[in-house]
Amino acid sequence: MSDLVVSGASVTHGSTLAVDDVSMTIRSGELVALLGPSGCGKTSLLLSIAGLLPLQSGSISVGAREISRPGRVVPPEKRGIGWVPQEASLFPHLSVGENIGFAVPRGRGRADRISELASLVGLGALTNRAPNQLSGGQAQRVALARALAPRPEVLLLDEPFAALDTQLRTGLRREVAELLRAQGTTSLLVTHDQEEALTLADRVAVLRDGHLEQFGTPEEIYQHPASDWVAQFVGDVVELEGRWRGGRVTCALGAVEAAAVGFTPADGDAVRLMLRPEWIVPRHDLLAHAAAGADARVASISYAGHDAMLSCDLTTGLTVRMRMAAVDLPGVGDDLRLAVQRPGLAFPAVA
Amino acid sequence: MTLAPPAEAAPELPVAASEVSLRAAGARASAGRTPLWLVLLGSLAALAASIPLVYLLVRGTESGLDRIIETLSRGRVLEYAANSLGLAAATTATALVLGTAVAFTLSRLRVPFPRVWLLASSLPLAVPSFIAGYGWLVLVPSAQGFVPSWLLLSAVTMPYVALPVAAALRGASGDLEGVARTLGRGPFSAFFVATWPQVRPAAIAGGLLVALYALSDFGLVAMMRFPTLTWGINAAYSASFDRAQAAILALLLVVMALLVVVGERSARGRVPRGAARAVAPRTIGRGMLVALLPVVAAAPVVGVAIPLLGLTTRLVQAETLRELDVPRLLAAVGSTVGVALAAAALAVVLALPIAALGARYRGRLVSAIESVGYLGHALPGIVVGLSLVFFSLAVLPVLYQSVVVLVFAYAVLFMPKAIGTMRSGLADVPTSLVSVARTLGDSPLRAWWRVTVPLALPSVGIGALLVAIATMKELPATLLLRPTGIQTLATELWNRTVVFEFGAAAPYAAVLVLIAAVPAMVLSGIRSTAKEEL
Repeated sequence: MSDLVVSGASVTHGSTLAVDDVSMTIRSGELVALLGPSGCGKTSLLLSIAGLLPLQSGSISVGAREISRPGRVVPPEKRGIGWVPQEASLFPHLSVGENIGFAVPRGRGRADRISELASLVGLGALTNRAPNQLSGGQAQRVALARALAPRPEVLLLDEPFAALDTQLRTGLRREVAELLRAQGTTSLLVTHDQEEALTLADRVAVLRDGHLEQFGTPEEIYQHPASDWVAQFVGDVVELEGRWRGGRVTCALGAVEAAAVGFTPADGDAVRLMLRPEWIVPRHDLLAHAAAGADARVASISYAGHDAMLSCDLTTGLTVRMRMAAVDLPGVGDDLRLAVQRPGLAFPAVA
Repeated sequence: MTLAPPAEAAPELPVAASEVSLRAAGARASAGRTPLWLVLLGSLAALAASIPLVYLLVRGTESGLDRIIETLSRGRVLEYAANSLGLAAATTATALVLGTAVAFTLSRLRVPFPRVWLLASSLPLAVPSFIAGYGWLVLVPSAQGFVPSWLLLSAVTMPYVALPVAAALRGASGDLEGVARTLGRGPFSAFFVATWPQVRPAAIAGGLLVALYALSDFGLVAMMRFPTLTWGINAAYSASFDRAQAAILALLLVVMALLVVVGERSARGRVPRGAARAVAPRTIGRGMLVALLPVVAAAPVVGVAIPLLGLTTRLVQAETLRELDVPRLLAAVGSTVGVALAAAALAVVLALPIAALGARYRGRLVSAIESVGYLGHALPGIVVGLSLVFFSLAVLPVLYQSVVVLVFAYAVLFMPKAIGTMRSGLADVPTSLVSVARTLGDSPLRAWWRVTVPLALPSVGIGALLVAIATMKELPATLLLRPTGIQTLATELWNRTVVFEFGAAAPYAAVLVLIAAVPAMVLSGIRSTAKEEL
């Protein structure tokens, strides 16, 4: 099996640089999410891997085979790379079965392969339908089956769930991820949805303005973001001003243990402490070794069923948000003693 | 030149995200720049389309400036020119007012059976002007001169204004008119302040077609004995075989037509489209409805119902049926359909590279090629016919009076219809589908064959059908170019009408209506109701 290696890739759109010197290696069989806000260049990177956009510099290869470098692009049909575009883009003049079989050569076994793929994506009964008779979720399944049919080495998925409603999206994406893992297909999934990236992917590549900001496991991305931008982009944060002293940040929540990210503060330096809301907990939830803490009063509760976001006024006048499981929630106006259950992240103070 | 731009794809995704993918699609489309072979094919097609105009310029100017000035200052010539201009101006003004009124009535007021009326308003387009003229002459043999020509041409061309204006009204915001009313304007003033600017480009583009139609019409004015330039060209050519004079008159007519096109370009302007909200038709009183009925019914009655009535009364007379020469009629049907199919095939072949260029590529060269392809729109049939007579005599004498030149003339004249429909058909094939086919292992050619061709095929068919229908209804170029011994339905009808054999002409007119006008009605019905549903 072969890895997909992108090294130093840059892609231009007209005069703007859409992808700027991106290097990443996607290991065989891995599902990687390419995460970034709208316009960050993730679709451009995907299209250049598919061979639909030329590279300005750098190279792309699958295993030992180089498929893109400036001035030389192996045409898309000779790359063995499948593509599931944003809107399913089914061929409107072909039935579901003919769409799935588009890349399957004529001859014996074609019908079997089509029905095998159709049932793989759960649409065994619909092969005679026309694409315009399908729901959005069904159309995406057909697009996936169609891309899988020629057994591509790498599969590219461009926001395949973006147009679906929330409930359908959650179910379908889990199903698709399981299917891709079962097939052992190396996959690159473009998304602007943090939750989608974190729940589905083996590793997440965070892209911002064409740069690769961070490439790591979902846990690394969420718990150990490489920059304050990544920290804010992949989840909720609580920011507090404080001073650095020997591995702790003294702030409104007390002296909170923290790791400095991307710089080495000296004792007494002003820093910004970043915490995830769920890292802040009521003191009684903690074992005895938890250190810092602060008194607070619950100001408001935003209830979301499985959990709830609490806004708590600290005695110092600041407000912090904390997330807790929605079991035995305190009421508005209750007093709490807050503590931080794991090391926070320290970033340089904003000048 | 009146084609509406293809509707923008409505992005359902967050705007910025879909912008990226649209830009990506655009970049892919032009990534390989315009392919040289396509430019070459397109240039060849454009070159072919430019032959009639270019050769007319050569022939018209070779007799020298003195001769041109001398010819143009003759009293008859000035009269022809004045008649052409007067008829075109009067017809355009009438069609503009009537067409706008009909469009407004049908799309903004609550009338019974709006679909039926819309369909009826598009019908006059399907009837060739000389059949309308024939039908009237059967009933009123004294209908001759300026006034009948003007009224009948206005009725026949009214749909060119009414249909695009009705479409523009559906896309225009009706709230603005309400706002103007609440700010103190009366109903007419509010229409001109708020709604007219939004439909003006459509109305003016339609007016251009009306003016070109009136300038180039030959059959109707000749039947009604109103001597315009087209009539003068035909007379100069066929009576005296004064070739130089015919060429100079044709040149004058072309200059007038091109001036109309240029004038329309500068007058049309563009409307910035706001978000249009569908406007519910306004309910009007019974008295108002009755008052509007003649407005809406005028063109279908004058341009279709009365001519067809005249045709039918003459057709069912015993004398007509007794004199009917069936083999001769069948021969005319055969040659009419034959040349129409050949013309449709040639026009599609010539139009394909131009449509493919226009659908996917931009640039000066591409728009120049496209403009030349649309030239036939502005060239009167008699001009193309005359120029190709000269051209074949001088350059390819073997082909003079052969069916090849005739079919070529039709292809040049009606190519714009094929370019228009095929261009939008090709442009409607999403580039992403072609890209998907590529990632699934298709070479560019194979992807074109498996994806683009099947999706664009209906538009090719419609383009070919439009050309075939227009060819069957063509008269002046056919008269000049038809090979000896070949008669089409139009020429048989013409030959009998000029000698007042209205009865003998009736079967040819009836068959022409059946095989050309009826498909045109169906097609325009389908298209106008399809537009209605958008």
